[in-house]
Amino acid sequence: MAHRWGMAVDLDKCTGCEACVTACHAENNIPTVSAEQAARGRAMHWIRVERYFEGDFPDVRVKFRPVLCQQCDNAPCEAVCPTYASHHNEDGLNAQVYNRCIGTRYCANACPYNVRFFNFFNPEWPKPLHLQLNPDVSIREVGVMEKCTFCVQRIKAAKTTAKAENRALVDGALQPACAQSCPTTAIVFGDLNDPNSRVARLARSPRGWKLLEDLGAEPKITYLHKQPWYESDAQ
Amino acid sequence: MKSIYGLYTDPHVAQRAVDNLRAAGVTDAAITVISSEPFDHFEFGHRDAKTAMPWIAAAAGLVGLVLTYYLLGASQRSWPLVTSGMPIVPNWTNLIIIFEMTMLSAILATVVTLLVTAGIPSRRGKMYDPEVSDGYILVGVENPSDASKLEPALAIEGARVKTTA
Amino acid sequence: MNRTLSNKQLTDDLVRPVFNTSVWFYAVVFAAGTVVACGAVAWGYQLWYGIGLSGKRWPTFWALYLTNFVFWIGISHAGTLISAILRLVNAGWRRPVTRCAEVITVFALMIGAMFPIIHLGRPWLAFWLFPYPSAREIWPNFRSPLAWDFFAINTYLTGSLLFLFLPMIPDFALIRDRATGWRRTFYGTLSFGWRGTTKQWNRLESAMQIMAVAILPVAVSVHTIVSFDFSMANVPMWHSTIFGPYFVAGAIFSGIAGLIIAMAALRKALHLEHYLLPLHFENLGKLLLLMAILWGYFVFNERLTVWYGNEPHEMAVFWATQRGAYAPLYWTMVICNFVLPLAILMNPYTRGIIGCVVASTGVVIGMWLERFLIIVPSLTHKQLPYSWGTYQPTPVELLIMAATFAAMILLYTLFAKFVPIIAIWEMKAGLPSRMDQSVLDEERLQSTRLGSEPLPDAIGQGGAQR
Repeated sequence: MAHRWGMAVDLDKCTGCEACVTACHAENNIPTVSAEQAARGRAMHWIRVERYFEGDFPDVRVKFRPVLCQQCDNAPCEAVCPTYASHHNEDGLNAQVYNRCIGTRYCANACPYNVRFFNFFNPEWPKPLHLQLNPDVSIREVGVMEKCTFCVQRIKAAKTTAKAENRALVDGALQPACAQSCPTTAIVFGDLNDPNSRVARLARSPRGWKLLEDLGAEPKITYLHKQPWYESDAQ
Repeated sequence: MKSIYGLYTDPHVAQRAVDNLRAAGVTDAAITVISSEPFDHFEFGHRDAKTAMPWIAAAAGLVGLVLTYYLLGASQRSWPLVTSGMPIVPNWTNLIIIFEMTMLSAILATVVTLLVTAGIPSRRGKMYDPEVSDGYILVGVENPSDASKLEPALAIEGARVKTTA
Repeated sequence: MNRTLSNKQLTDDLVRPVFNTSVWFYAVVFAAGTVVACGAVAWGYQLWYGIGLSGKRWPTFWALYLTNFVFWIGISHAGTLISAILRLVNAGWRRPVTRCAEVITVFALMIGAMFPIIHLGRPWLAFWLFPYPSAREIWPNFRSPLAWDFFAINTYLTGSLLFLFLPMIPDFALIRDRATGWRRTFYGTLSFGWRGTTKQWNRLESAMQIMAVAILPVAVSVHTIVSFDFSMANVPMWHSTIFGPYFVAGAIFSGIAGLIIAMAALRKALHLEHYLLPLHFENLGKLLLLMAILWGYFVFNERLTVWYGNEPHEMAVFWATQRGAYAPLYWTMVICNFVLPLAILMNPYTRGIIGCVVASTGVVIGMWLERFLIIVPSLTHKQLPYSWGTYQPTPVELLIMAATFAAMILLYTLFAKFVPIIAIWEMKAGLPSRMDQSVLDEERLQSTRLGSEPLPDAIGQGGAQR
């Protein structure tokens, strides 16, 4: 049966430590940019922790959530790419084909979650950081769009190994870098098509909601939060 | 190439010259009128107006429409990729490209028809006089059977009549 | 038309720039050429170091280059309106204006079509938008508005180029007959051996008629498809059904403004005072007024709907333009596009050549601002507030933008030098001596009502004067 990779992010457990951000950078060879370029908005964080501050001192409340590519089933970023660099693959992921991207950046505009990032310059890794690069992930050149792939290199490796060993994938064994590094296991990854997987059960939780659900993009990440996100929804 | 022609400044006089040529027995197809501007309001100006050009343009547009429809479908099926949940062959969005290619086909067919029927680019050796560019209207006959008979027909109101050998 | 206008004088006047070159020509070409060269260097710099030299950033992935793209494609709608629509309704006053307008269309399209390449991250792969059978059997994604752009702009460019070039052939033949030396060979080749037989004239006019009919829907579709680049994305205040007609109306609006400025410049530079009459500016000024009112109508429609709907995502963008960071630009745009044109053009006393040029300059600035204000405020205020951002253009972007304006001036000047900017045969065909009495009476009635110079008195007078 085909897989349908999804994720559940438990905001009640998330501490905002950003270990997921760091792990993602390390796993996916995401370039870091200079301080000046970051100030100009060129930083690339495939997963980011959004922070919102509400109220005035001393009643300040902080809300935060990790936001990454929602791998939407009805992704607005796919139809607008003129070269098919962004399309839907059989596992339900939104595939970004670096070699096919000519950098029109329409997909980034169409994405309501703003989870797509662009290589404005050729990435550089000052020595000896180049030794830390992950050999399983290609490096993107200038002019190419990139975003969270649910660590597709790990998915592919796991599927290949399972096929070679003639067995099914074990739920929880395959994890993207962010889920693997989260200290509170707030990020759960798995196959939504398997009704017994953790992520499928969490997706059915009454605490679950989807980000910008009314836009109809059908995101596959379920956020779990006991308190309503918006004050106006509080009972 | 032999020819005989008269140069006129007034289109009304040119019209009389054409009528005179017809009276002298020259067929319409053999009468050539050359000018540096179109004379739609005069009979000699719109005698070869009938053309199938609009039909050719419409037919070419239709061909472009059908060809584009099939090409789009074939290319989209050759590597079927799902994007935003749209069908592999989405007719609504294909319609836009089909429209553009239809119009392009019609336009290109019109231009090709123009070049072919107007005979341009043309080889040299046809009847012409550069004085046409100064505003004269040239009325004449190429390869006339009897040039001397045509001279009085053309020499009206003091117009110059020239012959080429 | 001037009462002393004769066939010969007309030809002499309009062909003179082709044979005589003034020092101003060299000055303008040098100045504009320098700016274009600087822009080319800037673009080379950007190609080498990366598109990051522009001011684009997360989340403003489209900014100045796309603004200029839409702006120039908009300017290109000048020619279509004048040439095609006025030709189809047989408006005689279009004759001196046709070629000026069509030239703007072709060059504006060429310049506009450069911008999608300039703004690409990897422009050397732009040819993937072209539907060719590749070895991997992959084609462009025809569902993408950018693929539609490719087809629409190329169709319009091809159509406009042909629409411009075909009626130039008889004028090339005319110059060929008067020229000697290299000019004779040059124009001789370009004239394709045109003689001017009645058959050739009839075929040319049929072709022009068909192309006028064909190019109108193409022009409407082009700017609609450009608007689809925005309306197809679910971005607040982009995803609006009004964008199609709004953009087309805006394009015609900016096109007429561009045309008025070009005509005023030509009139001065080439001494065409007897051909580009106050009547022409009057008529175009009225059209500009109409389009200004139409523009106001569309903006009111769009904004009232957004404000009334009070949807939070859209209202964030709405307030950013009305009262927030973009308010100065927004209100400048409203003054330039609506207040100024209405004030100048509603009054017949201020609707002269200078008034029209002032109003048009305002419109050109205002319409550029409108494109900018459609793109940037929406992108900087999308659905998730954490992703809100800013935008600031960089010198590279501004230099390339300045170079495109210089390129327009350069191309236009070169064109006016090598080709008669007013179609000589069309003017001759419109002379009183060549026309029907009924057409003459109508024109005389029109011109005396407007108080401009009256027409020659009798038919046949033009032809007899040699």
